[in-house]
Amino acid sequence: MGGRRTGQILLMLAGLIAWAVQFTAIYGVTSTLCGRGWADANLLGLEVVPMTILSATLVTLAATAVALIWSFRNYRLAKHQPVAAVDDFVSHAAVLINGLSIVVILWHGIPAFILPACA
Amino acid sequence: MNAPELPKAFERGEEELPNPLPRPEGEFEALKRAWKPPRGLRFLTAVNNTYVGVWYVGTAFLFFILAGILALIMRVQLARPENDLVGHGLYNQLFTMHGTVMMFLFAVPAVEAASVYLLPNMQAARDLPFPRLSAYAFWAYFVGGLVFFGTIFFGLSPDGGWFMYPPLTSTKYSPADNADWWLLGIGFIEISAIAGAIEIIVGVMKTRAVGMSLDKLPIYSWAMLVFAVMIVIGFPAIILGTLLLEMERAFDWPFFIAERGGDPLLWQHLFWFFGHPEVYIIFLPATGMVSMIVPTMAQTPLVGYRLIVLALIATGFLSFGLWVHHMFATGLPKMSLSFFSAASTAVAVPSGIQVFAWIATIASGRMRLTTPSLFVIGFLFIFTLGGLTGVMVAVAPFDWQAHDSYFVVAHLHYVLIGGMVFPLFAAFYYWVPAASKRALSERLGRWVFGLMFLGVNVTFLPMHITGLIGMPRRVYTYPVEMGWDALNLVSTIGAFMIAAGVAIFLYDLARNFRFTLEDNAGNVWNASTLEWLPNGTYNTRSIPSVVSRDPLWEQPNLSKDVEEGRYYLPGTVTGGREALVTSPFDARPQYILQVPGPGWQPVLAAVFTAAFFLLLTVKLVFPSVICGVLAVGCVIWWLWETDPGPVRPPADIGGGIVLPVYATGPMNHSWWAMIVLMVVAGMVFTCLIFSYLFLWLVNPGAWPPQGVRIPDWIWPSLSAFLYCASGALVAVASRQLRGDDRRSPRSVPVLIGVALPLVCGASAIDLWMQWETGLSPSAHAYGAAVYAITSLQIFFVLTTLVMGAYTIARWLAGRLDNVRRTTFDNTMLFWYYTAGQGLVALLVVHGFPRLTGGL
Amino acid sequence: MQSALDPAGGDAQRIYWLTVIMTVGGILIFLLVTGLLLYAIFAAPERRAWLGDRRTIIVGGLAFPIVVLSMLLPYGLTVMRDTDVPTPGALPIEMVGEQYWWRVRYPADQERAEFSTANELVVPVGRPISVSVTSADVIHSFWIPNFGGKIDMIPGRINRLNFTAERPGIYRGVCAEFCGDQHARMAFDLIALEPAEFEAWRVDQAKPALEPDLPSLVRGRELFRMGGCGSCHVVRGTEADGQFGPDLTHVGSRRTIGAGQFPNNIGTLAGWIANVQHIKPGARMPSYGSLTGEDLRALAGYLESLK
Repeated sequence: MGGRRTGQILLMLAGLIAWAVQFTAIYGVTSTLCGRGWADANLLGLEVVPMTILSATLVTLAATAVALIWSFRNYRLAKHQPVAAVDDFVSHAAVLINGLSIVVILWHGIPAFILPACA
Repeated sequence: MNAPELPKAFERGEEELPNPLPRPEGEFEALKRAWKPPRGLRFLTAVNNTYVGVWYVGTAFLFFILAGILALIMRVQLARPENDLVGHGLYNQLFTMHGTVMMFLFAVPAVEAASVYLLPNMQAARDLPFPRLSAYAFWAYFVGGLVFFGTIFFGLSPDGGWFMYPPLTSTKYSPADNADWWLLGIGFIEISAIAGAIEIIVGVMKTRAVGMSLDKLPIYSWAMLVFAVMIVIGFPAIILGTLLLEMERAFDWPFFIAERGGDPLLWQHLFWFFGHPEVYIIFLPATGMVSMIVPTMAQTPLVGYRLIVLALIATGFLSFGLWVHHMFATGLPKMSLSFFSAASTAVAVPSGIQVFAWIATIASGRMRLTTPSLFVIGFLFIFTLGGLTGVMVAVAPFDWQAHDSYFVVAHLHYVLIGGMVFPLFAAFYYWVPAASKRALSERLGRWVFGLMFLGVNVTFLPMHITGLIGMPRRVYTYPVEMGWDALNLVSTIGAFMIAAGVAIFLYDLARNFRFTLEDNAGNVWNASTLEWLPNGTYNTRSIPSVVSRDPLWEQPNLSKDVEEGRYYLPGTVTGGREALVTSPFDARPQYILQVPGPGWQPVLAAVFTAAFFLLLTVKLVFPSVICGVLAVGCVIWWLWETDPGPVRPPADIGGGIVLPVYATGPMNHSWWAMIVLMVVAGMVFTCLIFSYLFLWLVNPGAWPPQGVRIPDWIWPSLSAFLYCASGALVAVASRQLRGDDRRSPRSVPVLIGVALPLVCGASAIDLWMQWETGLSPSAHAYGAAVYAITSLQIFFVLTTLVMGAYTIARWLAGRLDNVRRTTFDNTMLFWYYTAGQGLVALLVVHGFPRLTGGL
Repeated sequence: MQSALDPAGGDAQRIYWLTVIMTVGGILIFLLVTGLLLYAIFAAPERRAWLGDRRTIIVGGLAFPIVVLSMLLPYGLTVMRDTDVPTPGALPIEMVGEQYWWRVRYPADQERAEFSTANELVVPVGRPISVSVTSADVIHSFWIPNFGGKIDMIPGRINRLNFTAERPGIYRGVCAEFCGDQHARMAFDLIALEPAEFEAWRVDQAKPALEPDLPSLVRGRELFRMGGCGSCHVVRGTEADGQFGPDLTHVGSRRTIGAGQFPNNIGTLAGWIANVQHIKPGARMPSYGSLTGEDLRALAGYLESLK
């Protein structure tokens, strides 16, 4: 599998990989800070647990949005040029997967607005 | 070597087929001869996917029946309160075995078995890429599974629940061997599952019909690909978990003992990181089957192919973010629980996509109400209900009530019976005509479906209520006057209705199933996919090129042309068994794989592997070690015959395509398998590092504990240097093996011979210096974790040792040169992996405590 | 008497409504999906044609679940936030799960002395309760369906469950995590009393055991001493100070024996002592089958008198 193919697959899975990164980050940080009682620490007057969740969400959301725009462009290009069916398929799947990932990543940011950090 | 480009071969009309008629005299006979199954007792040595597939499915179904009987006994016991049909001891074994056998010996093997049979046929491959590996996986499972099940007759079955939570399963509270049967028996059957998963990944990626690019891949293949990747990611967690618990039981290393710095919750994390994806591991292949059956029964192409692929992939990912929803009541912070709640809700979306895709497909065609259709419709009813209760338990506060009550029993049976058993029965009725002279009876099939459908609802619908009015799970009896009596009696009646349905199915099977290949009942449903091409043990006479997802509908003469040998590779070019290896993205032919044939090696290797684990369970250490050595010997014997090298010049497979009969490097199928194996190993190691960090988290101020000294940094540096040096030597050896002129330089065995002591020395230093500081593995979880990491590394180094020695032996035997170098490549990849893992292990064990400063 | 569908406290009430809403919503969705399925199968081809399209999947399988779940998730999280909330001034109680019974301890509170009991959780109505739970052996799980969710009792960890009883009455709790042989027979009573009654109960429980006032009871106490019962059980005010089994100082005042298994009276107590391993095989207490009937009655009578 050449570099171009690997790139296509990575772009197709980008949103879900971003979700995996977000998930690992928010769960890992919350567990560590709460487990060790470090959650009371403040970052510039903001609570550290919700701030971590929000920043991880925003970063991964931005990455997924970039992947979505990029894959959408590929998909549109594929519509106007004669490309192999498999490329059309992969670029379309990339749009769908990255689109769904946006929703999933957003959902994982919601708890920061509702729940207390460690109770 | 590069993939030969195909200028025109497979994206053009059907008129000019790759091979002209008439076919040469004797071509077909040679093909049949190459694939002829062995006769007599040697029939057991058959490795072809059709035979192994059928045995495999049959064995899995046997375990379904056996575990079902256990369930019936439990239902009789619970039919009325304070019943004394079975005592608590037997009951606890019954529910443990029911769960364990259904999950590990029925569900996963059944879907894997079905794909051993179906996958190559559906992709018009001659066989799976590693037929002996599937035979090994099957025999290991067959022997190990039957012995494991047999423990129930001797009261030796595990009785700590299929989830085996310590400390209940630790030596203190389960001193007998029962728990060891689970840990060793199941740990080893998971190895068989992983072997199957590697096979499936490489099979889907590398052995397809010409032109079956990713967009034309049957949904079933997609489902099996995601399934296999999930096994590769998820199963290592439970393998590591069982290893740790067995080490705790055997050597008193306190991973899960709270008094000595361990934590019972570590097990739950490892178990459920495997255990939740497991549910989807079972479910996805079943949806793949449904996506094949629905279009056939509605006689219309599947609607929303791309959305279904999205659903499969998304499920594969998201299902790894659900595991803590089995731990909602363990007292973790609400914030942590909420992430898992979010992921558990999110995973409902892909399931919704699939359900609506089938509804849309049904609406766009005309659904024939055959028995497979009925089971699919039943599946949609039951699974939708189970999915909705799944969303309910994803909401943590509700789960706090429902958790470990009969509500969850109801939910999980709706999901698993609806989501897996019904599709499997649909698949039986659907695919039996491809493997049998006669199809199964439609009339009896309706009875089977009716009884099972009613039975499932009668059994499990009341359990939702039983749970909410307070009945906890896993109780061998319950008091009178709790209001649970009537509901339980109804559930018991339902269970017997299911059993009656299954009994009629067995009768139908006995009456109508007659295994055959050449004169099977054929394409009775007018299906569109390649497994319905006329076939034999060699699968299809010639390997078709496909231009759509429904080749049998859109290429009307396909069956006839394939059978006449007008497509690719209509005979055998080497005189032996062959498969066509294609590129993973667009399925261009790359090379001809020489497939190994029957042999005793996989059977014997499997029997000895099983014996090794089973004898270890009953603490017969010496015979066990002998069997272990014999198993390794059989594997080496088996491998010795592989890696044949280019036995002839590149051959014409038709249509002007000339392919080599041997290839190395990233195009090679075993290179892929090695990469997947490294992912498995990497996941085991990652889980171990997670365990290390988790134990750090629960031991504030004791990492390392008081009085434990971390070895001086000079020693890990030396060890790291040795790892790097050994890797470098192997890289040099690889450079020596370049070129096409079939040299086998003497420097290669020398370099490997020097590198071996280096890599062994590296891990020996690591072990020795920990021991030197007086670190005890059983005093505290810190020591246990450190020695666990070291031990795992030693295991990998020993494997490298065997592989290195084997590679040298190949050179000595003249079976290794710069073209025929697959064996060397595999050893090299594994070597790099071992060295890399060793470096990370050193970094964690020596770096982390210094970094945190004992915090 | 033991049901999540009969809430007797605020949390259970909240979860009950969550259950009702999700059940109704789930049934509606179920009817919609199966309705569409049957329509797709049985409607005339031209009438159902609109359904056989990618749009069906986008709307029904993607958009619809996303909208519904986007509402359910925040609602669920809100219920989670408001459930099991620690309140300042809550009554602290400690419970330890043991194979197969419950150790209950009321810590000292201002002038009120601490004391222990077993298999019976008595709480005042209206005052928030904070139960700290852990385990002495394997994992158990503490669950009173009428008051809310369950919380695991894990060795080496202390978990908390907060709830408030809003109706006086007797409720039943069970162990929800499989914990070995007699997991099925590990229950307890929760008795919610009016605050004044609770205070009276608490004062009584903190007192040492009553002195026997009848000869047969004195005989019973003697048998208790000679039989070595005191090596496992404590009876405050006597020399029996074993910590292994349940505190028996006021065993006569409890509703049930055997971890919620039998009503508490002389007959069941005698049966229990003589036949534990028959009635609850695997329990940690041996059967004392060698006692004569008369001795057994005296011993049981003594225990029953420990009000």
